[in-house]
Amino acid sequence: MTTPVLLAVLALVLTGPAPALLARSDWPYRVPRAAVILWQAIALAAVLAALGAGIALSYSIAGRPGEPRFDPSSARDLVAAAILAMVALVVVRLLWAIGRVAVGTRARRKRHRDLVDVLATPDGLIPGLRVLAEETPLAYCLPALRGARVVVSVGALERLDDSELKAVLAHEQAHLRARHDLVLEEFTALHHAFPRWVRSDVALEQARTLVELLADDDARRRNGPRPLARALVALAGSPAPEAALAAAKSSTVLRVQRLAGPAPNESTLSAVTYAAAAVLLILPTITIAAPIVKAIVDAVS
Amino acid sequence: MEQLWAAPAALTVREVHERLAGTRELAYTTVMTVLDRLAKKKLTERERDGKAWRYRAAAPREELAADLMRDALDRAGDRREALVRFVGQVSDEEAALLREALSKLDDQEQTG
Repeated sequence: MTTPVLLAVLALVLTGPAPALLARSDWPYRVPRAAVILWQAIALAAVLAALGAGIALSYSIAGRPGEPRFDPSSARDLVAAAILAMVALVVVRLLWAIGRVAVGTRARRKRHRDLVDVLATPDGLIPGLRVLAEETPLAYCLPALRGARVVVSVGALERLDDSELKAVLAHEQAHLRARHDLVLEEFTALHHAFPRWVRSDVALEQARTLVELLADDDARRRNGPRPLARALVALAGSPAPEAALAAAKSSTVLRVQRLAGPAPNESTLSAVTYAAAAVLLILPTITIAAPIVKAIVDAVS
Repeated sequence: MEQLWAAPAALTVREVHERLAGTRELAYTTVMTVLDRLAKKKLTERERDGKAWRYRAAAPREELAADLMRDALDRAGDRREALVRFVGQVSDEEAALLREALSKLDDQEQTG
């Protein structure tokens, strides 16, 4: 009976206190790459632990070794089957959310790209660059396997000098190359897979900030911190259209302050973070597997 | 697409081709393919006129541009993952912090 309890506790810790604590700390911003991996490990481990808790609970209720057959007249077996069915339901729901987010995102992106292609002018500065005749300063990318686009508005071009523009483009190309959108998609799917009262947007918000930091680091390595910081301030400090102001608390301040500091070089911290991620993934796996391995060993000896 | 926006009524492939001939050398079949593709993307609408299709822009240019901007600025709210914007807008308070950080960076540049 200890296994399901352990796993349930692990799942609860990984969905509640652990993300809240991590989101409040500053150190993940120093190692964005490792931090993204850690967030992914937390999410995956939480799912594994929750599912494992259900499966283990079901087995420990029904489990009388040597009597594996399902007996419909036994209340214990029925409860065990119901728990297994619930676990299956959660899995289906998760897969459904992943599929729906993937399809929805792609459809919206494709429509947007079609519009960009008829409305904006191509520019040869980098492949896939499109210039939009709009005064609102805007720069963003449309990730895709083939035919990705980087869109910059005329308003943004007017506010940037050459080196700043280069920094912005390097930042967007880093997003496209590393497919940061896929990381965000995972967290969005996970976010949508769970009912409103258990989910929080902490992980998704953190993932958004961290991929921006990753792209910033990439652009910084290419062009130095200054053009990028200036570009951020130039585009963010411009008078905002009323709708854009409604957006959530921005990570822009964090990004610029980070660029003003020394270049991140934290190999120890990042190694520790990676190790933590690995442990998180191994923990629920072992807890699920250990009783099974033990049973096999017992059966053989 | 420009030709369709400029035209008062729906155009056939031949008419679009003729209008384009003044500025660009394009094969008739190229024009046909492009128009067909635009129709599939629902950016144009087409109707039968005898043997030929007549094409019309699905919406005025301004309307499509407004669509695009609405999508880009994400007034819908929670679907931000489709586009990753370079930077969002900040409040006055944050703008002050930004300027401070930037001047710190500028100082480093001068001393270092």
